[in-house]
Amino acid sequence: MTTLQKESADRIQAERGESAIWVAGLTKNYGPVEAVRGIDLSVRHGEIFGLIGPDGAGKSSVFQILGGVMQATSGEVTILGRSAREARSYVGYLTQVFSLYHDLSVAENLRYMGELRRLSGEEIERRGERYLAMFGMARFKNRLAGRLSGGMKQKLSLACALIIEPKVLLLDEPTTGVDPVSRREFWDALADLSHQGITIVVATPYLDEAERCTRVALMYEGRIHRTGTPRELRHSLGLKRLEVRASELSRAEDVLHATPGINDAQRFGDRLDVMVEDTTAGEKLAREVLRKAGIEVQEIRAAWPTLENAFVAMLRQRGEGSSVPPFPLKGRFLERTSGAIAIGARNLSKRFGDFQAVKNVSLEVRYGEIYGLLGANGAGKTTTIKMLCGLVEPTSGEGSLAGAVGSLRSGSVRQRVGYMSQKFSLYDDLTIDENLDFFAGVYGVPLENRAEKKRWVLSFSGLEGRGHLMTGSLPGGWKQRVAFGAAVMHEPSVLFLDEPTSGVDPLARRAFWKMINSFADCCMAILVTTHYLEEAEQCNRLGLLVAGELVAQGTPSGLKAGQKGHLLELITDNPQRANNLLKEQMERWRVSLFGDRLHVIVDEDPQTGIKNVTDRLTAAGIKVADAGEEPFSLEDVFIAVVEQMRKEGKTAEEE
Amino acid sequence: MKRILAQVRKELTQLVRDRLTFALALVLPVLLLLLLSKATSLTVKDIPVAVQDLDKTPLSRQYIEAVGASLSFKVSALPQAISPESALDQNLARATLIIPPQFERKLERGQNVELQWLIDGTDANTANIMRGKAAAITQSFNAQLQPAPPRVAIQPKVRYWFNPGREDLKYFGPGVLAFGMTMFPTLLAALALSREGDLKTILQVYVSSITAFEYLLGKVIAYTIVAWAEWIAGMIILFAGFGLSLAGDPGPLLITTFFYLLCTTCMGTMLGAAIPNQAAAIQAAQLSGFLTAFLLSGYIFPVENIPQPLRFLSNFVPMRYYLDAIRDAFLRGGGWPAMWPAPIALALLSGLFFWRAWSVMKDMQVKA
Repeated sequence: MTTLQKESADRIQAERGESAIWVAGLTKNYGPVEAVRGIDLSVRHGEIFGLIGPDGAGKSSVFQILGGVMQATSGEVTILGRSAREARSYVGYLTQVFSLYHDLSVAENLRYMGELRRLSGEEIERRGERYLAMFGMARFKNRLAGRLSGGMKQKLSLACALIIEPKVLLLDEPTTGVDPVSRREFWDALADLSHQGITIVVATPYLDEAERCTRVALMYEGRIHRTGTPRELRHSLGLKRLEVRASELSRAEDVLHATPGINDAQRFGDRLDVMVEDTTAGEKLAREVLRKAGIEVQEIRAAWPTLENAFVAMLRQRGEGSSVPPFPLKGRFLERTSGAIAIGARNLSKRFGDFQAVKNVSLEVRYGEIYGLLGANGAGKTTTIKMLCGLVEPTSGEGSLAGAVGSLRSGSVRQRVGYMSQKFSLYDDLTIDENLDFFAGVYGVPLENRAEKKRWVLSFSGLEGRGHLMTGSLPGGWKQRVAFGAAVMHEPSVLFLDEPTSGVDPLARRAFWKMINSFADCCMAILVTTHYLEEAEQCNRLGLLVAGELVAQGTPSGLKAGQKGHLLELITDNPQRANNLLKEQMERWRVSLFGDRLHVIVDEDPQTGIKNVTDRLTAAGIKVADAGEEPFSLEDVFIAVVEQMRKEGKTAEEE
Repeated sequence: MKRILAQVRKELTQLVRDRLTFALALVLPVLLLLLLSKATSLTVKDIPVAVQDLDKTPLSRQYIEAVGASLSFKVSALPQAISPESALDQNLARATLIIPPQFERKLERGQNVELQWLIDGTDANTANIMRGKAAAITQSFNAQLQPAPPRVAIQPKVRYWFNPGREDLKYFGPGVLAFGMTMFPTLLAALALSREGDLKTILQVYVSSITAFEYLLGKVIAYTIVAWAEWIAGMIILFAGFGLSLAGDPGPLLITTFFYLLCTTCMGTMLGAAIPNQAAAIQAAQLSGFLTAFLLSGYIFPVENIPQPLRFLSNFVPMRYYLDAIRDAFLRGGGWPAMWPAPIALALLSGLFFWRAWSVMKDMQVKA
């Protein structure tokens, strides 16, 4: 053995000893399918380690192997110096679906999990109470788990995983399908736990969450392509980001995309993220190109790349494009006039027993318009959508749909409506082809068009030539894409999308929105609900639903302009501590952590606000590197409105 | 031990919570008992017989009366326009009786007369009984005509030893209980296991260090308790509702019941462990529980009548052993000398089923 080899062997040995989790050469095959193709990982004690990657990258397989519930095909896994199976009593594992017993109460769930791990009754009681208090759900001890909201369920799952006081927590997409407010609370809880020295490995499709990780690994097609702190990954691109705000964003995106010298242009909410090698040259180039195209530039700001930029750039390098195959339009769209009302609702209300799910909702969506319905879990979005498309009879109020009033379920109306429900509406035990054939048949897609339509769905889903796969075997994000395709095959004039992009990776999400935008361009009326607030920015109009009531409506920029107070962004040397400190001193909702940046909403003017907050942090020994005012994001608006309503006692959600 | 108890408690809590399953567990067996014990009956009664009397004499009418007086037959006249064959074709009757012209005259002359009984042989069993009845009626009619005792050497004296009244209820009532105790505990246990696979809660169980043995035993104990509750409810119906009583010592029956309930629960556990999908598990439980118990246990068709390769299969049907035991307890009262093989066979089968379940689950890991 040469000195060099010995040195490196020693280093590996040392690293393995220091690591909480050590993975070398891990592979996993399912029959002929290679899900994991050789992964090396080392997770340090007490860090939050993020595993991010598109759907089907093999993340869940890695989690199941780390959790000791599945055998690896080959490779080595060491957790706290033991094999994954032996380490189970030190590991808390949160699976992708809520693995709670819905017919047991919160306390009974905790008790069962504790007793399986041989804890004593008092111990379970004591720890259970502590975690429930920590997650603010002590009041719900006796509620059945099945009757908790999505966010609460996830926190209960976390409490169940924590009951053994694990040293390592494995979280497989814990916040998929959870609303922004609950997501934020969940991550605050994770930050606390990591502070207490628990090592956390987490997979997430939300890249703003990944920014809160200590280190992040980008996974793609069963391999890990890059590992580093979010900052390292962002800087590793070697590119700068320009935030461009302009009049016609979609056209500006196309123009910039086609310009040599500009690496990438992506629509991100109400702005374009333009990646360039040099800020000044890039800005000059962008302004010139846009001026030539007759697009008015409102603002261009230089900024650091985000993790999402890094992620998309990596996928692009791997040849994963977000190019969207054009929809094979057969011309039925033309029968409608732009601007006519497609979806109308006057004072719609729905009661289930003594529970008022929706109260007096009035809205109008015109052909060619994208209307976004935002709200926390349990705010009544799905019920509203179901009433609007005639699946649920309202208790009171009236709706109109595609010109029909009252009875919305007649054959001719249904023919003009597409609906993609929140739960996958595909049959798991049919192949993709069979599913598409079935839906094409049900919706009466003319026979001569079917083959072409099916090809389009497969290519939109990135599943060309794989139509023979069982639908049940697909990862969630791919199923969503197929379901979306199935819902539009018959060229409806009104389209309802209930959380179409939940659990879908960033690249696919963009493809979804490109498609949605192109449908709106040919005069389809689209009503969409979403949890991703950056997506909501792409809607023409938005409605904010809180506890069954539509509390605000307007364009994204209108809503943001209507927000009171100022948003400050601070960069500190210890964001987590700064976050905790400010949350104790101010109202909790005013403070939130975005990666390493702290957002604080103040009522006083920005200068005084910055001074006050900086003074508080400096007094606690935290250095503020940079502070400034930022425009409100929709997420800030959303959280502020929800908090406002909560203060007025209007959230029926958890009562 | 502690983990087994935790498992038992969790199962029972879930069962009580879920109203649908709870109803399935307690109400359905009772309903089944009430329905099936009344409906299953092999006694042949009031079978419609169409009669064409071409003689129309006092003697021919006397014969017809004798047929009508039997509990088995219900007589109706068949017009001459309709042929007897078509009466059977059109399902007007299950048998037709044709009395030829000259019936009375020939008999009075001491000549032999032929009567025609046309019996629908579709249901072989009933046809057989009808044939016997028709022969018996004719024989006693002959005896009346010729009072001189026939010169026969052997006279059989038949007496029904057990169940002297030959009441079906005494035979089928306990049988239905045995049948219900195959169906429901198997179904519930299969569902309890497959549900965890379906809802993926099984992953949390895998993550904990509970062994397959403890996990399965917890489920089996919980659902055996439930099965006992079902059994007790069933016995109450048999005693109070149907007025049945045990013929002998209850001890052997209780012990055999213990192993039987354990056995059917283990069978469900085995199915549920192998099939992580609730719909498929229900199908499997029904097919293997319902069908085999119905056909291969001697519930309706005696085991001795089953042809060989299938009869071997009946050795793996728990109900086969229990049926002997419970019928013995209600009808014969033979006690241990008659019953001892049943609990042993059931215990062995329980062990086999549990072992199969365990070998499927033993890794406590996701199968790739």
